[in-house]
Amino acid sequence: MLDFLKILAGNVFKGPSTDGFPFTQAHTPRRFRGKVHLNPALCVGCTICRHVCAGGAIHIAERPDGSGYDYTLWHNTCALCGLCQHYCPTGALSTSGDWHNAHPQSEKYQWCERHFVPFLSCDGCGAPLRPLPPALTGRIYADNHVDAARLMRLCPRCRQIETAMHAREASHEAQSGS
Amino acid sequence: MSGGATAKTYTLPVGPVHVALEEPMYFRLDVEGEIVRGVELGAGHVHRGMEALALRRTLFQNIVLTERVCSLCSNSHPYTYCMAVENLAGMTVPERAQVLRVIAEEIKRISSHLFNVAVLAHIIGFKSLFMHVMEVREIMQDIKETVYGNRMDLAANCIGGVRYDLDEELTGYLLHGLDSVRGQVEGVHKIYSSDRMLLRRSRGVGVLGAADARELGVVGPVARGSGLELDVRHNAPYGGYALLGVEPVVERDGDVHSRAMVRLREIFVSIELIRRCVRELPGGPTTVLLPEIPAGEALARSEAPRGELVYFLRTDGTDVPNRLKWRVPSYMNWEALGRMMRDCRVSDIALIVNSIDPCISCTER
Repeated sequence: MLDFLKILAGNVFKGPSTDGFPFTQAHTPRRFRGKVHLNPALCVGCTICRHVCAGGAIHIAERPDGSGYDYTLWHNTCALCGLCQHYCPTGALSTSGDWHNAHPQSEKYQWCERHFVPFLSCDGCGAPLRPLPPALTGRIYADNHVDAARLMRLCPRCRQIETAMHAREASHEAQSGS
Repeated sequence: MSGGATAKTYTLPVGPVHVALEEPMYFRLDVEGEIVRGVELGAGHVHRGMEALALRRTLFQNIVLTERVCSLCSNSHPYTYCMAVENLAGMTVPERAQVLRVIAEEIKRISSHLFNVAVLAHIIGFKSLFMHVMEVREIMQDIKETVYGNRMDLAANCIGGVRYDLDEELTGYLLHGLDSVRGQVEGVHKIYSSDRMLLRRSRGVGVLGAADARELGVVGPVARGSGLELDVRHNAPYGGYALLGVEPVVERDGDVHSRAMVRLREIFVSIELIRRCVRELPGGPTTVLLPEIPAGEALARSEAPRGELVYFLRTDGTDVPNRLKWRVPSYMNWEALGRMMRDCRVSDIALIVNSIDPCISCTER
Protein backbone atom coordinates (compact mmCIF):
# COMPACT_ATOMS: atom_id res chain seq x y z
CA MET A 1 0.00 0.00 0.00
CA LEU A 2 2.88 2.30 0.83
CA ASP A 3 4.26 1.93 -2.71
CA PHE A 4 1.02 3.16 -4.13
CA LEU A 5 0.79 6.11 -1.73
CA LYS A 6 4.14 7.25 -3.09
CA ILE A 7 2.72 7.23 -6.63
CA LEU A 8 -0.37 9.12 -5.45
CA ALA A 9 1.75 11.78 -3.76
CA GLY A 10 3.88 12.09 -6.91
CA ASN A 11 0.77 12.59 -9.02
CA VAL A 12 -0.48 15.38 -6.77
CA PHE A 13 2.70 17.34 -7.48
CA LYS A 14 2.72 16.44 -11.18
CA GLY A 15 -0.73 17.94 -11.80
CA PRO A 16 -3.18 16.84 -14.49
CA SER A 17 -1.77 14.87 -17.41
CA THR A 18 -4.59 15.59 -19.86
CA ASP A 19 -4.44 18.05 -22.74
CA GLY A 20 -6.32 21.32 -22.33
CA PHE A 21 -8.11 20.82 -25.67
CA PRO A 22 -10.22 22.66 -26.97
CA PHE A 23 -8.80 25.61 -25.04
CA THR A 24 -5.23 24.77 -26.00
CA GLN A 25 -3.91 23.06 -29.11
CA ALA A 26 -3.57 19.27 -28.82
CA HIS A 27 -0.16 17.94 -29.82
CA THR A 28 -0.20 16.27 -33.25
CA PRO A 29 2.86 14.22 -34.22
CA ARG A 30 4.52 14.72 -37.61
CA ARG A 31 3.53 11.27 -38.89
CA PHE A 32 -0.09 11.43 -37.72
CA ARG A 33 -2.45 9.79 -40.21
CA GLY A 34 -5.17 12.40 -40.61
CA LYS A 35 -7.24 13.56 -43.57
CA VAL A 36 -5.85 12.42 -46.92
CA HIS A 37 -5.02 15.03 -49.55
CA LEU A 38 -4.36 14.71 -53.27
CA ASN A 39 -1.89 16.86 -55.15
CA PRO A 40 -3.53 16.92 -58.61
CA ALA A 41 -0.32 18.11 -60.26
CA LEU A 42 1.31 14.76 -59.48
CA CYS A 43 -1.68 12.48 -60.20
CA VAL A 44 -1.37 10.42 -63.39
CA GLY A 45 -4.70 8.60 -63.06
CA CYS A 46 -3.23 5.11 -62.69
CA THR A 47 -6.10 4.26 -60.24
CA ILE A 48 -3.96 2.08 -57.93
CA CYS A 49 -5.30 4.19 -55.01
CA ARG A 50 -8.87 3.30 -55.97
CA HIS A 51 -7.87 -0.37 -56.24
CA VAL A 52 -6.31 -0.60 -52.77
CA CYS A 53 -8.67 1.79 -50.94
CA ALA A 54 -10.23 -0.28 -48.16
CA GLY A 55 -13.36 1.79 -47.75
CA GLY A 56 -13.96 2.62 -51.40
CA ALA A 57 -13.52 6.32 -50.67
CA ILE A 58 -11.85 7.18 -53.98
CA HIS A 59 -13.80 7.76 -57.20
CA ILE A 60 -12.11 8.46 -60.51
CA ALA A 61 -14.29 9.13 -63.54
CA GLU A 62 -13.17 10.20 -66.98
CA ARG A 63 -15.24 12.98 -68.55
CA PRO A 64 -17.19 11.91 -71.66
CA ASP A 65 -15.71 14.75 -73.73
CA GLY A 66 -12.19 13.43 -73.06
CA SER A 67 -11.03 16.65 -71.45
CA GLY A 68 -9.76 14.95 -68.29
CA TYR A 69 -10.96 13.08 -65.22
CA ASP A 70 -12.69 13.97 -61.96
CA TYR A 71 -11.03 12.75 -58.78
CA THR A 72 -13.20 12.57 -55.66
CA LEU A 73 -11.98 11.52 -52.20
CA TRP A 74 -14.71 11.08 -49.60
CA HIS A 75 -13.32 11.85 -46.16
CA ASN A 76 -16.18 10.13 -44.31
CA THR A 77 -15.64 6.84 -46.15
CA CYS A 78 -11.87 6.97 -45.69
CA ALA A 79 -10.52 4.57 -43.04
CA LEU A 80 -7.26 6.59 -42.66
CA CYS A 81 -5.26 3.42 -43.33
CA GLY A 82 -2.72 5.15 -45.58
CA LEU A 83 -2.62 2.36 -48.20
CA CYS A 84 -3.22 4.86 -51.04
CA GLN A 85 -0.26 6.90 -49.85
CA HIS A 86 1.90 3.76 -49.67
CA TYR A 87 1.08 2.49 -53.15
CA CYS A 88 0.85 5.85 -55.01
CA PRO A 89 3.79 5.74 -57.48
CA THR A 90 4.11 9.52 -57.80
CA GLY A 91 3.56 10.59 -54.19
CA ALA A 92 0.40 12.48 -55.12
CA LEU A 93 -1.51 11.26 -52.07
CA SER A 94 -0.51 12.13 -48.53
CA THR A 95 -1.98 11.90 -45.06
CA SER A 96 -2.02 15.17 -43.15
CA GLY A 97 -1.95 16.12 -39.49
CA ASP A 98 -5.52 17.40 -39.83
CA TRP A 99 -7.79 15.30 -37.61
CA HIS A 100 -10.64 17.81 -37.39
CA ASN A 101 -13.28 15.72 -39.07
CA ALA A 102 -16.36 16.91 -37.18
CA HIS A 103 -18.86 18.66 -39.43
CA PRO A 104 -22.58 19.42 -39.47
CA GLN A 105 -24.93 16.92 -41.11
CA SER A 106 -25.77 19.49 -43.78
CA GLU A 107 -22.19 19.41 -45.03
CA LYS A 108 -21.80 15.66 -45.36
CA TYR A 109 -22.15 15.63 -49.15
CA GLN A 110 -19.50 18.32 -49.45
CA TRP A 111 -17.12 16.58 -47.03
CA CYS A 112 -14.77 15.41 -49.76
CA GLU A 113 -11.91 16.55 -51.89
CA ARG A 114 -12.73 17.11 -55.57
CA HIS A 115 -10.18 17.74 -58.29
CA PHE A 116 -10.40 17.98 -62.02
CA VAL A 117 -7.26 16.62 -63.65
CA PRO A 118 -7.09 17.78 -67.31
CA PHE A 119 -5.75 15.74 -70.19
CA LEU A 120 -3.36 17.40 -72.63
CA SER A 121 -3.57 16.64 -76.31
CA CYS A 122 -0.73 14.75 -77.98
CA ASP A 123 1.64 17.03 -79.91
CA GLY A 124 1.65 14.52 -82.75
CA CYS A 125 -1.92 13.36 -83.28
CA GLY A 126 -4.00 15.32 -80.79
CA ALA A 127 -5.19 12.29 -78.77
CA PRO A 128 -5.92 13.05 -75.09
CA LEU A 129 -3.15 12.04 -72.71
CA ARG A 130 -2.07 12.55 -69.12
CA PRO A 131 1.67 13.33 -69.01
CA LEU A 132 3.84 11.85 -66.24
CA PRO A 133 5.13 14.33 -63.66
CA PRO A 134 8.71 15.54 -64.39
CA ALA A 135 10.17 13.80 -61.33
CA LEU A 136 8.92 10.39 -62.48
CA THR A 137 9.94 11.04 -66.09
CA GLY A 138 13.43 11.92 -64.89
CA ARG A 139 13.62 8.60 -63.04
CA ILE A 140 12.43 6.56 -66.03
CA TYR A 141 14.73 8.27 -68.55
CA ALA A 142 17.69 8.71 -66.18
CA ASP A 143 20.04 6.64 -68.39
CA ASN A 144 18.65 7.80 -71.75
CA HIS A 145 19.82 10.84 -73.69
CA VAL A 146 16.45 11.80 -75.08
CA ASP A 147 14.31 14.90 -74.81
CA ALA A 148 12.06 13.42 -72.11
CA ALA A 149 9.96 16.58 -71.82
CA ARG A 150 9.06 16.35 -75.54
CA LEU A 151 8.38 12.58 -75.35
CA MET A 152 5.98 13.13 -72.46
CA ARG A 153 3.83 15.40 -74.60
CA LEU A 154 3.24 12.53 -77.04
CA CYS A 155 0.78 9.67 -76.84
CA PRO A 156 2.33 6.16 -76.68
CA ARG A 157 1.83 5.63 -80.45
CA CYS A 158 3.44 8.91 -81.45
CA ARG A 159 6.20 8.28 -78.94
CA GLN A 160 7.01 4.99 -80.66
CA ILE A 161 7.17 6.71 -84.06
CA GLU A 162 9.29 9.54 -82.66
CA THR A 163 11.74 7.11 -81.06
CA ALA A 164 11.98 5.05 -84.26
CA MET A 165 12.65 8.21 -86.28
CA HIS A 166 15.34 9.17 -83.83
CA ALA A 167 16.98 5.77 -84.06
CA ARG A 168 16.90 5.96 -87.90
CA GLU A 169 18.42 9.44 -87.93
CA ALA A 170 21.11 8.32 -85.50
CA SER A 171 22.02 5.30 -87.62
CA HIS A 172 22.09 7.48 -90.81
CA GLU A 173 24.40 9.92 -89.08
CA ALA A 174 26.64 7.11 -87.94
CA GLN A 175 26.77 5.68 -91.50
CA SER A 176 27.53 9.03 -93.20
CA GLY A 177 30.09 9.84 -90.52
CA SER A 178 32.08 6.62 -91.04
CA MET B 1 -32.92 -15.66 -3.34
CA SER B 2 -35.04 -14.39 -0.48
CA GLY B 3 -34.76 -15.13 3.19
CA GLY B 4 -30.95 -15.33 3.14
CA ALA B 5 -31.02 -19.06 2.48
CA THR B 6 -27.41 -19.56 1.44
CA ALA B 7 -27.75 -23.17 0.37
CA LYS B 8 -30.55 -22.47 -2.15
CA THR B 9 -29.68 -23.05 -5.83
CA TYR B 10 -30.71 -20.54 -8.48
CA THR B 11 -29.74 -19.44 -11.96
CA LEU B 12 -27.96 -16.15 -12.42
CA PRO B 13 -27.55 -14.52 -15.81
CA VAL B 14 -24.45 -12.35 -16.27
CA GLY B 15 -24.24 -10.32 -19.46
CA PRO B 16 -24.32 -9.83 -22.37
CA VAL B 17 -24.42 -6.23 -21.15
CA HIS B 18 -22.93 -6.03 -17.70
CA VAL B 19 -20.97 -3.38 -15.86
CA ALA B 20 -18.07 -5.69 -15.08
CA LEU B 21 -17.68 -7.10 -18.59
CA GLU B 22 -15.67 -5.10 -21.09
CA GLU B 23 -17.26 -6.83 -24.07
CA PRO B 24 -20.61 -8.59 -24.53
CA MET B 25 -20.65 -12.19 -23.41
CA TYR B 26 -23.42 -14.16 -21.79
CA PHE B 27 -22.93 -16.44 -18.80
CA ARG B 28 -25.69 -18.59 -17.38
CA LEU B 29 -24.54 -19.50 -13.91
CA ASP B 30 -25.94 -22.10 -11.57
CA VAL B 31 -25.33 -20.57 -8.19
CA GLU B 32 -25.57 -22.08 -4.75
CA GLY B 33 -25.57 -19.16 -2.35
CA GLU B 34 -22.39 -17.28 -3.19
CA ILE B 35 -20.73 -20.21 -4.96
CA VAL B 36 -20.87 -20.92 -8.70
CA ARG B 37 -21.63 -24.59 -9.42
CA GLY B 38 -22.12 -24.55 -13.17
CA VAL B 39 -21.30 -22.23 -16.08
CA GLU B 40 -22.80 -22.06 -19.55
CA LEU B 41 -21.35 -19.68 -22.09
CA GLY B 42 -23.25 -17.86 -24.79
CA ALA B 43 -21.57 -15.92 -27.55
CA GLY B 44 -22.31 -14.21 -30.82
CA HIS B 45 -23.23 -10.68 -29.81
CA VAL B 46 -20.51 -8.88 -31.77
CA HIS B 47 -20.48 -11.00 -34.92
CA ARG B 48 -19.82 -8.69 -37.86
CA GLY B 49 -19.40 -11.21 -40.67
CA MET B 50 -15.79 -10.23 -41.28
CA GLU B 51 -14.73 -13.53 -42.85
CA ALA B 52 -17.47 -13.06 -45.44
CA LEU B 53 -16.44 -9.42 -45.92
CA ALA B 54 -12.86 -10.57 -46.60
CA LEU B 55 -14.10 -12.57 -49.60
CA ARG B 56 -15.47 -9.41 -51.21
CA ARG B 57 -12.24 -7.45 -50.88
CA THR B 58 -8.90 -7.54 -52.62
CA LEU B 59 -5.80 -8.89 -50.88
CA PHE B 60 -4.74 -5.26 -50.30
CA GLN B 61 -8.03 -4.17 -48.78
CA ASN B 62 -7.95 -7.16 -46.43
CA ILE B 63 -4.82 -5.79 -44.75
CA VAL B 64 -7.01 -2.94 -43.52
CA LEU B 65 -9.99 -5.17 -42.77
CA THR B 66 -7.96 -7.58 -40.62
CA GLU B 67 -6.38 -4.64 -38.79
CA ARG B 68 -9.90 -3.70 -37.68
CA VAL B 69 -10.90 -7.11 -36.30
CA CYS B 70 -9.94 -5.98 -32.83
CA SER B 71 -8.16 -2.93 -31.52
CA LEU B 72 -5.90 -4.48 -28.89
CA CYS B 73 -4.18 -6.98 -31.18
CA SER B 74 -4.70 -4.87 -34.29
CA ASN B 75 -1.13 -5.45 -35.42
CA SER B 76 -1.11 -9.24 -35.01
CA HIS B 77 -4.01 -9.73 -37.44
CA PRO B 78 -2.58 -7.94 -40.51
CA TYR B 79 0.89 -9.26 -39.64
CA THR B 80 -0.27 -12.88 -39.67
CA TYR B 81 -2.49 -12.27 -42.68
CA CYS B 82 0.42 -10.76 -44.63
CA MET B 83 2.61 -13.72 -43.61
CA ALA B 84 -0.04 -16.08 -45.03
CA VAL B 85 -0.06 -14.19 -48.35
CA GLU B 86 3.75 -14.16 -48.38
CA ASN B 87 3.90 -17.90 -47.66
CA LEU B 88 1.52 -18.52 -50.53
CA ALA B 89 3.47 -16.41 -53.01
CA GLY B 90 6.83 -17.67 -51.71
CA MET B 91 8.03 -14.14 -50.98
CA THR B 92 11.12 -13.41 -48.91
CA VAL B 93 10.55 -10.43 -46.63
CA PRO B 94 13.70 -8.27 -46.23
CA GLU B 95 15.39 -8.55 -42.83
CA ARG B 96 14.89 -4.88 -42.03
CA ALA B 97 11.14 -5.28 -42.57
CA GLN B 98 11.08 -8.40 -40.39
CA VAL B 99 12.74 -6.60 -37.50
CA LEU B 100 10.51 -3.53 -37.94
CA ARG B 101 7.52 -5.88 -37.75
CA VAL B 102 8.78 -7.26 -34.43
CA ILE B 103 9.06 -3.71 -33.07
CA ALA B 104 5.44 -2.94 -34.04
CA GLU B 105 4.24 -6.26 -32.60
CA GLU B 106 6.02 -5.83 -29.27
CA ILE B 107 4.85 -2.22 -28.86
CA LYS B 108 1.29 -3.45 -29.26
CA ARG B 109 1.93 -6.32 -26.84
CA ILE B 110 3.12 -3.95 -24.11
CA SER B 111 0.04 -1.73 -24.46
CA SER B 112 -2.29 -4.71 -24.57
CA HIS B 113 -0.80 -6.29 -21.43
CA LEU B 114 -0.85 -2.97 -19.56
CA PHE B 115 -4.51 -2.56 -20.48
CA ASN B 116 -5.44 -6.00 -19.17
CA VAL B 117 -3.48 -5.57 -15.95
CA ALA B 118 -5.13 -2.17 -15.44
CA VAL B 119 -8.61 -3.65 -15.88
CA LEU B 120 -7.77 -6.21 -13.17
CA ALA B 121 -7.33 -3.31 -10.72
CA HIS B 122 -10.53 -1.72 -12.04
CA ILE B 123 -12.56 -4.88 -11.38
CA ILE B 124 -11.41 -5.32 -7.81
CA GLY B 125 -12.28 -1.68 -7.16
CA PHE B 126 -8.75 -0.30 -6.95
CA LYS B 127 -9.66 2.62 -9.22
CA SER B 128 -6.63 4.76 -8.50
CA LEU B 129 -4.26 1.93 -9.46
CA PHE B 130 -6.33 1.40 -12.62
CA MET B 131 -5.91 5.06 -13.52
CA HIS B 132 -2.19 4.88 -12.79
CA VAL B 133 -1.56 1.83 -15.02
CA MET B 134 -3.64 3.41 -17.78
CA GLU B 135 -1.51 6.51 -17.51
CA VAL B 136 1.64 4.38 -17.91
CA ARG B 137 -0.01 2.83 -20.97
CA GLU B 138 -0.54 6.35 -22.29
CA ILE B 139 3.22 6.59 -22.86
CA MET B 140 2.89 3.60 -25.21
CA GLN B 141 -0.08 5.25 -26.90
CA ASP B 142 2.03 8.35 -27.51
CA ILE B 143 4.80 6.18 -28.98
CA LYS B 144 2.32 4.53 -31.34
CA GLU B 145 0.86 7.86 -32.40
CA THR B 146 4.28 9.40 -32.99
CA VAL B 147 5.98 6.51 -34.75
CA TYR B 148 3.01 5.05 -36.65
CA GLY B 149 0.45 7.85 -36.82
CA ASN B 150 -2.40 6.31 -34.85
CA ARG B 151 -3.03 5.30 -31.25
CA MET B 152 -4.38 1.82 -32.07
CA ASP B 153 -4.17 0.92 -35.76
CA LEU B 154 -0.49 1.08 -36.58
CA ALA B 155 -0.83 0.34 -40.32
CA ALA B 156 2.69 -1.08 -40.10
CA ASN B 157 2.27 -4.07 -42.41
CA CYS B 158 1.89 -4.51 -46.11
CA ILE B 159 2.24 -7.63 -48.23
CA GLY B 160 5.97 -8.18 -48.56
CA GLY B 161 7.20 -5.89 -45.82
CA VAL B 162 6.35 -2.85 -43.75
CA ARG B 163 4.95 0.57 -44.54
CA TYR B 164 7.04 2.54 -42.07
CA ASP B 165 10.66 3.10 -41.26
CA LEU B 166 12.50 4.43 -38.23
CA ASP B 167 14.76 7.46 -38.42
CA GLU B 168 17.17 8.67 -35.79
CA GLU B 169 14.75 11.11 -34.20
CA LEU B 170 11.95 8.56 -33.86
CA THR B 171 14.33 5.88 -32.56
CA GLY B 172 15.46 8.29 -29.86
CA TYR B 173 11.86 9.06 -28.96
CA LEU B 174 10.98 5.36 -28.87
CA LEU B 175 13.90 4.40 -26.63
CA HIS B 176 13.27 7.32 -24.29
CA GLY B 177 9.57 6.34 -24.02
CA LEU B 178 10.49 2.69 -23.32
CA ASP B 179 12.91 3.78 -20.58
CA SER B 180 10.17 5.66 -18.76
CA VAL B 181 7.66 2.80 -19.27
CA ARG B 182 10.20 0.35 -17.87
CA GLY B 183 10.72 2.46 -14.76
CA GLN B 184 6.98 2.83 -14.24
CA VAL B 185 6.21 -0.85 -14.87
CA GLU B 186 8.85 -1.82 -12.30
CA GLY B 187 6.80 0.12 -9.76
CA VAL B 188 3.55 -1.43 -10.99
CA HIS B 189 5.08 -4.93 -10.87
CA LYS B 190 6.10 -4.32 -7.25
CA ILE B 191 2.57 -3.22 -6.33
CA TYR B 192 0.97 -6.23 -8.07
CA SER B 193 3.29 -8.67 -6.35
CA SER B 194 3.04 -7.17 -2.87
CA ASP B 195 -0.21 -5.24 -2.36
CA ARG B 196 -2.25 -7.19 0.19
CA MET B 197 -5.65 -6.26 -1.23
CA LEU B 198 -4.61 -7.29 -4.74
CA LEU B 199 -3.09 -10.55 -3.55
CA ARG B 200 -6.16 -11.46 -1.49
CA ARG B 201 -8.45 -10.97 -4.49
CA SER B 202 -6.25 -12.64 -7.13
CA ARG B 203 -4.26 -15.47 -5.49
CA GLY B 204 -5.90 -18.89 -5.62
CA VAL B 205 -8.80 -17.50 -7.67
CA GLY B 206 -9.75 -19.03 -11.01
CA VAL B 207 -7.16 -21.77 -10.80
CA LEU B 208 -6.35 -23.73 -13.95
CA GLY B 209 -3.84 -26.49 -13.32
CA ALA B 210 -1.19 -27.48 -15.84
CA ALA B 211 -3.00 -30.75 -16.68
CA ASP B 212 -6.29 -28.91 -17.26
CA ALA B 213 -4.52 -26.26 -19.32
CA ARG B 214 -3.00 -28.92 -21.54
CA GLU B 215 -6.27 -30.80 -21.89
CA LEU B 216 -8.22 -27.66 -22.88
CA GLY B 217 -5.51 -26.49 -25.25
CA VAL B 218 -5.28 -22.97 -23.86
CA VAL B 219 -2.73 -20.63 -25.38
CA GLY B 220 -0.81 -17.46 -24.60
CA PRO B 221 -0.48 -15.96 -21.12
CA VAL B 222 -3.24 -18.31 -19.86
CA ALA B 223 -1.13 -21.36 -20.76
CA ARG B 224 2.07 -19.75 -19.50
CA GLY B 225 0.34 -18.76 -16.24
CA SER B 226 -0.42 -22.46 -15.71
CA GLY B 227 3.20 -23.49 -16.16
CA LEU B 228 3.13 -24.48 -19.83
CA GLU B 229 6.03 -23.20 -21.93
CA LEU B 230 3.85 -22.31 -24.88
CA ASP B 231 4.88 -19.36 -26.98
CA VAL B 232 4.82 -19.41 -30.79
CA ARG B 233 7.71 -16.93 -30.80
CA HIS B 234 9.75 -19.58 -28.98
CA ASN B 235 8.28 -22.89 -30.20
CA ALA B 236 7.96 -22.06 -33.89
CA PRO B 237 9.85 -18.80 -34.50
CA TYR B 238 8.57 -16.81 -37.47
CA GLY B 239 9.76 -13.68 -39.25
CA GLY B 240 12.00 -11.50 -37.13
CA TYR B 241 11.63 -13.74 -34.06
CA ALA B 242 13.68 -16.39 -35.82
CA LEU B 243 16.54 -13.89 -35.91
CA LEU B 244 16.12 -12.71 -32.32
CA GLY B 245 14.99 -15.60 -30.13
CA VAL B 246 12.51 -15.18 -27.25
CA GLU B 247 12.40 -17.00 -23.93
CA PRO B 248 8.85 -17.69 -22.71
CA VAL B 249 7.77 -16.21 -19.37
CA VAL B 250 6.19 -18.88 -17.17
CA GLU B 251 4.37 -18.80 -13.82
CA ARG B 252 3.29 -21.98 -12.03
CA ASP B 253 0.21 -21.25 -9.91
CA GLY B 254 -2.37 -21.01 -12.70
CA ASP B 255 -4.51 -18.44 -10.90
CA VAL B 256 -5.62 -14.89 -11.78
CA HIS B 257 -2.49 -13.52 -10.12
CA SER B 258 -0.16 -15.80 -12.12
CA ARG B 259 -1.66 -14.71 -15.39
CA ALA B 260 -1.32 -11.04 -14.43
CA MET B 261 2.32 -11.62 -13.44
CA VAL B 262 3.06 -13.36 -16.75
CA ARG B 263 1.75 -10.27 -18.55
CA LEU B 264 3.69 -7.84 -16.40
CA ARG B 265 6.95 -9.80 -16.77
CA GLU B 266 6.41 -10.10 -20.51
CA ILE B 267 6.42 -6.31 -20.73
CA PHE B 268 10.07 -6.33 -19.60
CA VAL B 269 10.87 -9.04 -22.18
CA SER B 270 9.17 -7.00 -24.90
CA ILE B 271 11.04 -3.83 -23.95
CA GLU B 272 14.35 -5.73 -24.10
CA LEU B 273 13.34 -7.19 -27.46
CA ILE B 274 12.54 -3.76 -28.94
CA ARG B 275 15.85 -2.39 -27.65
CA ARG B 276 17.69 -5.28 -29.32
CA CYS B 277 15.74 -4.73 -32.54
CA VAL B 278 16.70 -1.05 -32.61
CA ARG B 279 20.35 -1.89 -31.83
CA GLU B 280 20.63 -4.64 -34.43
CA LEU B 281 18.32 -3.11 -37.06
CA PRO B 282 19.71 -4.30 -40.40
CA GLY B 283 19.85 -1.95 -43.38
CA GLY B 284 18.23 -2.54 -46.73
CA PRO B 285 14.77 -2.21 -48.22
CA THR B 286 11.55 -2.33 -46.20
CA THR B 287 9.44 -4.03 -48.87
CA VAL B 288 9.85 -6.33 -51.84
CA LEU B 289 8.05 -6.07 -55.16
CA LEU B 290 4.79 -7.91 -55.25
CA PRO B 291 4.80 -11.02 -57.45
CA GLU B 292 1.65 -12.51 -58.93
CA ILE B 293 -0.25 -14.29 -56.15
CA PRO B 294 -0.85 -17.86 -57.39
CA ALA B 295 -3.87 -20.02 -56.70
CA GLY B 296 -3.31 -22.13 -53.60
CA GLU B 297 -3.58 -22.44 -49.83
CA ALA B 298 -1.38 -21.07 -47.10
CA LEU B 299 -1.23 -20.97 -43.34
CA ALA B 300 0.54 -18.61 -40.96
CA ARG B 301 0.63 -18.38 -37.19
CA SER B 302 1.97 -15.92 -34.70
CA GLU B 303 1.94 -15.11 -31.00
CA ALA B 304 -0.63 -12.35 -30.51
CA PRO B 305 -0.79 -10.68 -27.06
CA ARG B 306 -3.48 -13.23 -26.12
CA GLY B 307 -1.78 -16.28 -27.61
CA GLU B 308 -1.48 -18.24 -30.80
CA LEU B 309 -3.20 -16.69 -33.81
CA VAL B 310 -3.67 -18.75 -36.97
CA TYR B 311 -4.59 -17.50 -40.43
CA PHE B 312 -5.67 -19.71 -43.31
CA LEU B 313 -5.85 -18.30 -46.83
CA ARG B 314 -7.05 -19.87 -50.06
CA THR B 315 -6.78 -18.05 -53.37
CA ASP B 316 -7.92 -18.87 -56.89
CA GLY B 317 -5.43 -16.82 -58.87
CA THR B 318 -7.44 -13.58 -58.67
CA ASP B 319 -6.62 -10.86 -56.16
CA VAL B 320 -9.76 -11.58 -54.12
CA PRO B 321 -9.31 -14.48 -51.69
CA ASN B 322 -11.42 -17.57 -52.05
CA ARG B 323 -11.42 -18.18 -48.29
CA LEU B 324 -9.85 -16.39 -45.37
CA LYS B 325 -10.22 -17.90 -41.94
CA TRP B 326 -8.57 -17.05 -38.67
CA ARG B 327 -8.52 -18.84 -35.34
CA VAL B 328 -7.96 -16.45 -32.50
CA PRO B 329 -6.46 -17.21 -29.05
CA SER B 330 -9.59 -16.26 -27.08
CA TYR B 331 -11.50 -19.05 -28.82
CA MET B 332 -9.17 -21.58 -27.18
CA ASN B 333 -9.07 -19.75 -23.88
CA TRP B 334 -12.72 -19.07 -23.13
CA GLU B 335 -13.50 -22.80 -22.98
CA ALA B 336 -11.29 -22.86 -19.89
CA LEU B 337 -13.56 -20.32 -18.14
CA GLY B 338 -15.93 -23.11 -17.09
CA ARG B 339 -13.04 -24.93 -15.39
CA MET B 340 -11.70 -21.73 -13.79
CA MET B 341 -15.10 -20.66 -12.47
CA ARG B 342 -15.94 -24.00 -10.88
CA ASP B 343 -16.80 -23.34 -7.24
CA CYS B 344 -15.71 -19.70 -7.39
CA ARG B 345 -17.59 -16.85 -5.76
CA VAL B 346 -20.04 -14.76 -7.78
CA SER B 347 -17.95 -11.68 -7.00
CA ASP B 348 -14.90 -13.25 -8.70
CA ILE B 349 -16.59 -13.94 -12.04
CA ALA B 350 -15.59 -10.67 -13.72
CA LEU B 351 -12.08 -11.06 -12.36
CA ILE B 352 -11.71 -14.56 -13.81
CA VAL B 353 -13.20 -13.53 -17.17
CA ASN B 354 -10.72 -10.65 -17.38
CA SER B 355 -7.81 -12.93 -16.46
CA ILE B 356 -8.01 -14.77 -19.80
CA ASP B 357 -7.96 -11.31 -21.45
CA PRO B 358 -10.87 -12.30 -23.68
CA CYS B 359 -11.22 -10.59 -27.00
CA ILE B 360 -14.81 -11.16 -28.01
CA SER B 361 -14.63 -9.06 -31.16
CA CYS B 362 -11.68 -11.18 -32.37
CA THR B 363 -13.46 -14.42 -31.62
CA GLU B 364 -16.84 -13.55 -33.10
CA ARG B 365 -15.54 -11.14 -35.76
